[in-house]
Formats: sequence, structure tokens, C-alpha cells
Amino acid sequence: MGDRMPDRNGVSRRDLFQIIGAAPALAAAATGASAAQNHEHAAAAYKRKVFDDHQWRTVEVLCDLILPADEHSGSATQAGVPEFIDDWLDFRKQEDGDDDLAAEILGGLAWLDRETARLFSKTFAAAAPDQQKKILDRIAWPERAAAEDRPWAAFFSRIRDLTADGFYSSKAGIADLPYLGNTAVPEWKGCDPAVWAEIERRMKNGYRGLGGEVKPWNG
Amino acid sequence: MAQVKATPKTYDVVVVGSGAGGGVAAHVLTLAGAKVCLLEAGGWYDGAKQSDMFKWPYNAPHRGAGTKEKPFGYFDATLVGGWKVPGEPYTNAAGTEWKWWRARMLGGRTNHYGRISLRMGPYDFKPYSRDGKGFDWPITYDDLAPYYDKAEELIGVFGTKEGMENTPDGRFLPAPAPRGYERVIKMASDKLKIPCIPSRLAILTRSIHGRAACHYCAQCGRACGVNANFNSPGVHIFPAMKTGNLEVRTDAMAREVVVGPDGLARGVSYIDKKTRGEVTVNARIVVLAASCCETARIMLNSRSSRFPNGVGNSSGLVGRYLMDTVGSDVSGYLPILEDLPPRNEDGVGGMHMYMPWWNYQQQKAGKMPFARGYHIEIGGGRGLPGTGDFEGSEQMLGGGYGAEFKRNLRKMYGAGVGFSGRGEMIPNADSYCELDPTRVDQWGIPVLRFHFKWSRDEILQAKHMQDTFKEIITAAGGKYFTSATAENNWGISQGGEIIHEVGAARMGDDPKTSVLNPYCQAWDCRNLFVTDAAPFVSNADKNPTLTITALGWRTSEYIAEQVKKRNLAG
Repeated sequence: MGDRMPDRNGVSRRDLFQIIGAAPALAAAATGASAAQNHEHAAAAYKRKVFDDHQWRTVEVLCDLILPADEHSGSATQAGVPEFIDDWLDFRKQEDGDDDLAAEILGGLAWLDRETARLFSKTFAAAAPDQQKKILDRIAWPERAAAEDRPWAAFFSRIRDLTADGFYSSKAGIADLPYLGNTAVPEWKGCDPAVWAEIERRMKNGYRGLGGEVKPWNG
Repeated sequence: MAQVKATPKTYDVVVVGSGAGGGVAAHVLTLAGAKVCLLEAGGWYDGAKQSDMFKWPYNAPHRGAGTKEKPFGYFDATLVGGWKVPGEPYTNAAGTEWKWWRARMLGGRTNHYGRISLRMGPYDFKPYSRDGKGFDWPITYDDLAPYYDKAEELIGVFGTKEGMENTPDGRFLPAPAPRGYERVIKMASDKLKIPCIPSRLAILTRSIHGRAACHYCAQCGRACGVNANFNSPGVHIFPAMKTGNLEVRTDAMAREVVVGPDGLARGVSYIDKKTRGEVTVNARIVVLAASCCETARIMLNSRSSRFPNGVGNSSGLVGRYLMDTVGSDVSGYLPILEDLPPRNEDGVGGMHMYMPWWNYQQQKAGKMPFARGYHIEIGGGRGLPGTGDFEGSEQMLGGGYGAEFKRNLRKMYGAGVGFSGRGEMIPNADSYCELDPTRVDQWGIPVLRFHFKWSRDEILQAKHMQDTFKEIITAAGGKYFTSATAENNWGISQGGEIIHEVGAARMGDDPKTSVLNPYCQAWDCRNLFVTDAAPFVSNADKNPTLTITALGWRTSEYIAEQVKKRNLAG
């Protein structure tokens, strides 16, 4: 399966890779795509469609609480997640014919401020980190949330998903994962032996993962 | 101004449609020396030049997400098409929720499709004889086998020889080795004695016919910039044009088969979408391959004093026994795949492994609650991240935020898997299309109205899919997620949703109970043929494109022979 016939009919692998290796650069030149069109490098140029100035600031703070910078990558805001969410709410309104998603997000942002004002006499964005944490800890684990907090837990689940989507589909998020494809591979070899060795170890010994415990596979 | 003008030239053949069926007809007939005019309702398309290969979703609007205009996303090769085509509506009868996918572009749906290339087996041609439901085809597997060979050798299909029941092997290129998650799923399937074998896709793992081999970027749905997957323009149409015998007319929306007083076809009238004028192409032979439902629409709209109910429709069966494929899905999460060393897991644009139907003997012994089978398509791995891929993490984590949440998402990436059942629908009298008596499209052509119902066999099959997928996921130590319940008929797809519509002008042995004879030639009009999926008598779980190609090849060879024998001209 791994062996390769010499290519017949005159298309050599070398020619192929010279052609397709250049393709993305050529395509970018032809369409005028450039770093300026990549909004991760052009956050200043983004025109907001949904959030006002205060909501924008709140979303920036909230997204960075959800996905902060770490040793692998920058924060959600550095990866353009607030721009992604603003655009996504507008996009869903156009595609779905209603603004239910925007209502849920804007309503949740309003509650964050209302609740922070009630408890700490501040807006959520201006509150101290431990104050923000007190609020989020009530709504970030839906099963544990108090009955009266359930709408805000649902809101938080939604914006957490949007933040995760926006971050990990960005250039910075893809490098963080990392996703290593969308490129030409000279030879497909199947599952890497190092990866399979690890899977086999887990099959033999069992494995406790985030999604639960896997018992040893006995054939 | 729009006006009627006739082109003086008379072609040997006019072919309507440039997808799998029209492409193979144009290819075989031009190579046999016929002068062919090919009509395509959409615009010109050359995937090798227009592919969005290697582009990134973060440079696309809304990260490349699907829209009403482009349901499969910004980079999908279908430039104009989908379940809604602007200005070209269709209607549903009360109680029907049919979805009709169309691709208005050169090559039609072959630009976008999943390249799954499965031969129908011997049982699939004689289903009525086997279980008393539906109808038998007028041909056998052996009749079509040589054309499956030819089709596979031209388009290029990878796979392995397995010798399994009713799952015929083909002329295969080497299959790509499985990905990690596919090996895990195979081991789980082995425990349950469900066969899991290398898939069979029309993607080149070696260079053939001057086309490059696959470079494993996994984005076949964007069209291939090096023509390494099967698509009608790159494989059928452009080589056919090199013969000098093929003229392609795009933006040509076929309206009617023109019939002479002798009852023979004289050509095709179409609307030139650019001028809105009506044009007639004269030809000695007409081949319809506009896609199953569009072909039925053209036949029903071709009314004359000789054929008041539409050409070829003396049986009243044009539009009848419309079928789609049964679909039902379950997604899963396999902890054993968490936090593995990062590798490029793209591979070809589609699954490297699949499960063919395995319960033929149990069904024969009367031990299954439904007739006919399904195969299982699988997905997963560290694929190109897009919107939606990182949602629902709380199902595993319970919630969270901050540095730990970020670490967890990174570990969870690549542990999701998906299972899709694709099963056989038995034709029924409640599923058909007809002309809507009052509605027309923007070209002034009466539109189709659909009627559609699943039967109990299909619904119980969907339940079996759900049960099976949950068992496999559980056997792999994972968690499953599905919204399917008895109330929603086990998540069965909407009619048309799987985009495998077939039937509507079925072939048969008897002019009273079929539209076409065993060579897909209209019983009522000997110079009218059909080479898309409209002639299908049943819809086996095997995806239709390879059978369209093989059957269209056989029909085209028959046309060429009959021309030589002078049996067709008026």
C-alpha cells in the first residue's frame, strides 16, 4: 500500500509540488488577499455591526477570561475573537431571519453589568478580577448553577462556545492546537507510529481522559 | 429582444446536463465519433483553475461558514446551487418536506460530491425477487459489471479486494492507509463483528491518464487544483473536447424535447440565460442527463399532440417512484484519542475506512425487522478547524473557563468522531414529482411539485443505525450524542437531504410499467435516452454516482452501436 509506482503519463511529483507549492501565494496575489485582509492584523479596521462601545469592552474582557493568553498562544482578544462574535451575531441574523442569538448574548452582557453593579457597584468590565471570578463561577458550570441563574448559565455556555469557535478557527488558534494540515503531503503513510503506540498503550493499560475513563481493551 | 431562433446545424446527439451522466455520455459518444452538443444550465467551471485548495477559513467571510446560497460553506466548489436556486423554485405538496439540491455549473454535482464509489451488488438489481418489496431491474449485475470496470479505470477509484457478499470489488487503485481514529473504530467494530474495510473513493492515489495523484489535503469538496479527484469537467468533458467532436453550451436551460409529427425527437429547446432568448438545437438523438428530477421535469414539459402527458410518458410513470437515501447520524467522543502527539491527519477528502452492510443472511432468514441495508460512513480526527467544531465542550467538561479550559480544549481536539448511516429506500407510490399546475420559474418553465414519504422499513432502518452507532462508540470506550428518538423517527433525514435522488423515469421490461427499456431508451420515442439516475429502479445503499457512470456508459455504447446499424434515425 505504501509503495509508489513511478508516475506515468508525464506528471512528476516534483512538477506537481512546484506548481501547488506556489499556488497559495499566487492565489493571494490574484485576489488581492494580503495581511491587511486578515482581520487578526487589522483589528482597527473592523467595523462593528452589533456591539456598542461598552458591550465591546465587556466582550473583550469576558473572552479573555474564557481563553486567556498562555505559553502556547495569545488571548482570545489578541486572536480577534470579539470581531468574530460581533460579525457572527450579525451573520446569524441575516441567515436565520431572526436575532435570537444576538438577543441572548446582549441580554447576558446586560445581566453581567446588572449583577456586578448590585454586588460591587461596578460594571463587569471595570470590576476586579476576583469580583469577575465570583460572578463567572456561578454560571460557568450549568449543572451546579442555582435555579435563578440558569438563563445566565445558558448565556455563558453560548458565549464560551462562540469564543472557542472564534479562537480555534483563527490563525493563532490553529497554530495553538496545532492543526498541521491543509497542505500538500508528498506521501501518505497513515497513522504515525508514535501516535499509534500511545493509543495502544492506552488500550492495554486503560486511560482516564476528560471525557471519562476508558477501560483496558481485551480484544 | 428574446426571440425564437433555430440553429441550422444538426448534431448527431444533444446531451442535456454535464454531470456524471451527461459527462460520460459526451465522453463515450465523442470518442466513438459522434458530433455532440452538450447543454449545461449553469456557467463554465474548471476546478483545476478555480479550486480554493489550500485557502484558510480565517481569510473567508464568517470563517467560511455555510449560508443559504452556499450550504456547504464558502469554499465549496458549488458556485451556484444548493437547496435553493435563485429564480428556480419548486413546491411541496401538503405534508411533504422534500429538499431538492441542484448545482448550476459545468460538471454539476460531481464538483462537490463525496467521491464515494460503490458498486451495486447482484442482490441490488433483483430486490423484489429477494424480499418481495419494490421492483427488479431489467438488467443484472453481470450486465453492468464490464461498465463498472470501464468507469473505475477511467475515473480512478481506490479500494481493496475483499470478496464480501453483495459488495463487489472493482478495478482499484491502492487504498490509503487508515488514520488513527479509523484504526480505533475498526477495532471497536471488530469486537461487534461489524466489518470495517478500506473505503472506495474516486480519488487518485496514483497518477493515471495524465492526472496527478492526490496530495492529501482533504479538501476535495473545494474541487481539486490538480484534477486528482473525479469530476466530470476534468475527466469527461475536457478530454472529450479534445476530440473536436464536442460543443459545450453553458447557461443553456433546457425546457423541452422537441418532437416531430412522426413521434421522434428532433432536438432540444432551451433558454439562453444570458439573452433570455429561446434556442433550439437540432439533433438526431437526444440524451437527457439533467439529474433525476430535472430530467423528469423536461419530459413532463415536452407536451405535444403526440405526447399530451409529456414525451415518453404513455405509462404515466414519469416522475413516479422517486427515491432518496436513508440517513441518520450519531456523533461520539472517544477519550482514547485525547491529547495525542500532533500530526497532520488530513489524508484524502473523505473517509479511508467504512462499513458495508453485513446482515444479508440475517435478513434472508427473516431475523431483521426491516428490509434492505445500509453502509456506515465515518469521520473524525484532527481536521481543518471551522466554526462549530469547538462547541459543546461542556458535555465533557461540565463547564469552565480560563487557562484550564484552554488546555482542555487543546486536549479534546481530534477526539470527536461521527457516524452516518446511508441506507436503501424502497420505492413507494406516495413518493413522486409532477408539474405544479400553477407555478413557473423565472425562465417561464413550469416547476416541479414533490410528494414524499418514508415507509416503515426506512424508519426501522434508521433506528438500527442509531443502535449500531451507539454500540460502536461504547465499544471504543466513548460517549455518544444524538437527538434521534422514536418521536422524530430516529433522526431520519428529510427526503432529498442526502442528495441521492434517483428514479422518476425507471427502466424495465414492459412499456406499461416502465418509462425506459433495458438500454435506458424511451419506449415511446426510440431516439430519446436517459443517462442520469432517473432510470434507477431501486436505490441501493451504494451511492449513485458510480452506477450512473457505468449505466450511462452502457447506454452510450448502445447508442453508438445503434447509430452504426442505422436503427435510430427518423
